[in-house]
Amino acid sequence: MSAIQLSSPSASRVIPFLLDLARDPIVWLIALIFVVGAMTSQYYLTTLNLENLMRNVAVIGLLSLGMTVVLLTGRIDLSVAALMIFSIVVGVVVMTEIAPLIGSRWLVRGNTYAGPIVPVILIALTTGAAIGAINGIGVAYFKVASFIMTLVSLTALRGFNYVLTDGHPYYLKAPLYQWIGDSKFAGIPVSFLLFLLVLLVLIGFVNGTVRGGRFYAIGGNEKAALYAGINTRRYVVLAYVISGLCAAIAGIVFTARLKSVDAPLAAGYELTAIAIAVIGGTALSGGIGSPWRTLLGSVAFAAGLNLLAIWGVGTWYQNLAIGIVLIASVGLSKMSRKKSKS
Amino acid sequence: MTMNTLETKMVEPALPARPADAWRHLSIGAMSRAAVLVALVIFGQAIAPSFLSLANIHVILLAVAAIGIMAYGMTLVVITGEIDLSIAGAAILSCVVGGLLIPTGSAVLVIGATLLTGLVVGLANGALVAALGIPSLIVTLGTLGIGRALANIVSGGQALYPEGLNAYLWLGRGQFAGVPVPVVLLVILGAAAVALTRYSTFGPALYATGGNVRAAKLSGINVVAVRVTVFAISGVCAALAGMLESARLSYINPAGFEGMELSVLAVTVLGGAALTGGVGSISGTLTASLIIGIVNNLLNQLGVSIYLQQVVTAVVILAVVLPGIRQREIAK
Repeated sequence: MSAIQLSSPSASRVIPFLLDLARDPIVWLIALIFVVGAMTSQYYLTTLNLENLMRNVAVIGLLSLGMTVVLLTGRIDLSVAALMIFSIVVGVVVMTEIAPLIGSRWLVRGNTYAGPIVPVILIALTTGAAIGAINGIGVAYFKVASFIMTLVSLTALRGFNYVLTDGHPYYLKAPLYQWIGDSKFAGIPVSFLLFLLVLLVLIGFVNGTVRGGRFYAIGGNEKAALYAGINTRRYVVLAYVISGLCAAIAGIVFTARLKSVDAPLAAGYELTAIAIAVIGGTALSGGIGSPWRTLLGSVAFAAGLNLLAIWGVGTWYQNLAIGIVLIASVGLSKMSRKKSKS
Repeated sequence: MTMNTLETKMVEPALPARPADAWRHLSIGAMSRAAVLVALVIFGQAIAPSFLSLANIHVILLAVAAIGIMAYGMTLVVITGEIDLSIAGAAILSCVVGGLLIPTGSAVLVIGATLLTGLVVGLANGALVAALGIPSLIVTLGTLGIGRALANIVSGGQALYPEGLNAYLWLGRGQFAGVPVPVVLLVILGAAAVALTRYSTFGPALYATGGNVRAAKLSGINVVAVRVTVFAISGVCAALAGMLESARLSYINPAGFEGMELSVLAVTVLGGAALTGGVGSISGTLTASLIIGIVNNLLNQLGVSIYLQQVVTAVVILAVVLPGIRQREIAK
């Protein structure tokens, strides 16, 4: 598996790629959702709903992209949802602490942050990368099982989120934030464009470079990768840093849309991110999957939920559907893989 | 599940590495856990003279009972190399299904339905994992969502109140020979689980399945049956623990046990179980839940906020887990 993925893509692979795409059950699933949506609801294919859908895809898609890279190495990152809130909280808290030092006051009435937003974003990205690095170092160098290491981060970060915000939401007021959250560029929501940008960078790196291919090599057979001279530890840390960065960007997109950040937000999103990566065909055992297929997974997931919501199906029935689809999709792919082997 | 003597004899060759090898890192982990536990007790008594009072010991054990019972089930699952994220879903669905029978006025029916639902959820997990070969992380993540969703759909999102069901409430609030019932159950089930893992023929089959599935299969162990059994036990443990909590609070909350699966998993791992399978013990898990219980109790007494407690808990887990891992590295 990893050997095939390692070779770099070329133009001659476009046609087989399209043929593969047409045979892909998840593409048919997405098509089915859209066709059924268009037939059963006059609102499904309206611009407003599609924009809404794209904004939903942006947040969960970003989390799932980071998760995919970590899963490729055969590891897991449970800290993404807590980190996505934590990175923004750190950005806001650090800036409000700095403000008095330069004789300014950025936290105004009603817990609203009215200071410069660019430093908040930069601090958020740095925090994301740093926590990712800590996770990665714990897993790669201290050999803590990734499930435990990131579970510990999840617990600690959730705690810190409450401690740092004191349990109150911060409201974020800044033109740039408004632009990321609400505006469109060429008719497409900015947040979705940001997601596409990250996706393209990751596809370019993971599927287009030799270095990126090493994620597959490590996930496919870590010992072999090590003996082949790959510094597996460094790449594992890199995978977690990518995941942390994706979580921070997801946090920016998410809070830009809500224009606030609050400790209990996004609880359980880590499990959604795993579900999406897996629906997109990423194997938990590592070595199988791709950022591109995670895009398909997140579109299928968001479009399906969106359709259920439009039908007026209650949240709990939606959750029921998620659970069933998750088990069924993995079960079916497992069976089809078995069949193709025999 | 029920293994005849012939099968047990065939089991043994599958475990050449276990006793000597596993015992070494188990003992190091066990020693560090015991040391942490003793240090915590001494520290606790030093800062709070009432720490070792009977009342406070009851508080600690009561707080630990539900998580400990769930962790017994989780430990068995983790030893086989699988994971059960569905316990909170199983617990809440079981309690709600049982709760629907409250109008009958029969505590026996309510308790029976609760435990039966837990068993069904566990069997479903086991069947999907063992028979269809779907990764347990996915299956139980799915059934966690399904269990929670069904609980809310069935109850309409409303809490249920087991009023007047004295036998039911006794499970959470009663005492047996002066000891709170949940604590009695924690001890009895712990003893049963130790007997199951150490002194029954199921024990070796359990460790063999988690240690090396191929070897286990080749030596005649029915790994499918082992896996289904551990998931079934975990489901029942979850239902029972959920019932103890519901009875203690005297209401069944369809939104309860948020994030419980990860806390239970943390206790299990702190107790020395390895997620790769084949390693773990009930005594370790019990010690670990006592450590977490005492840490939380002390932090409460020190007036530390519940959110900072989460951070401290995380650090404690790392602090206890790390030395064991370093030791294992050196042993290799």
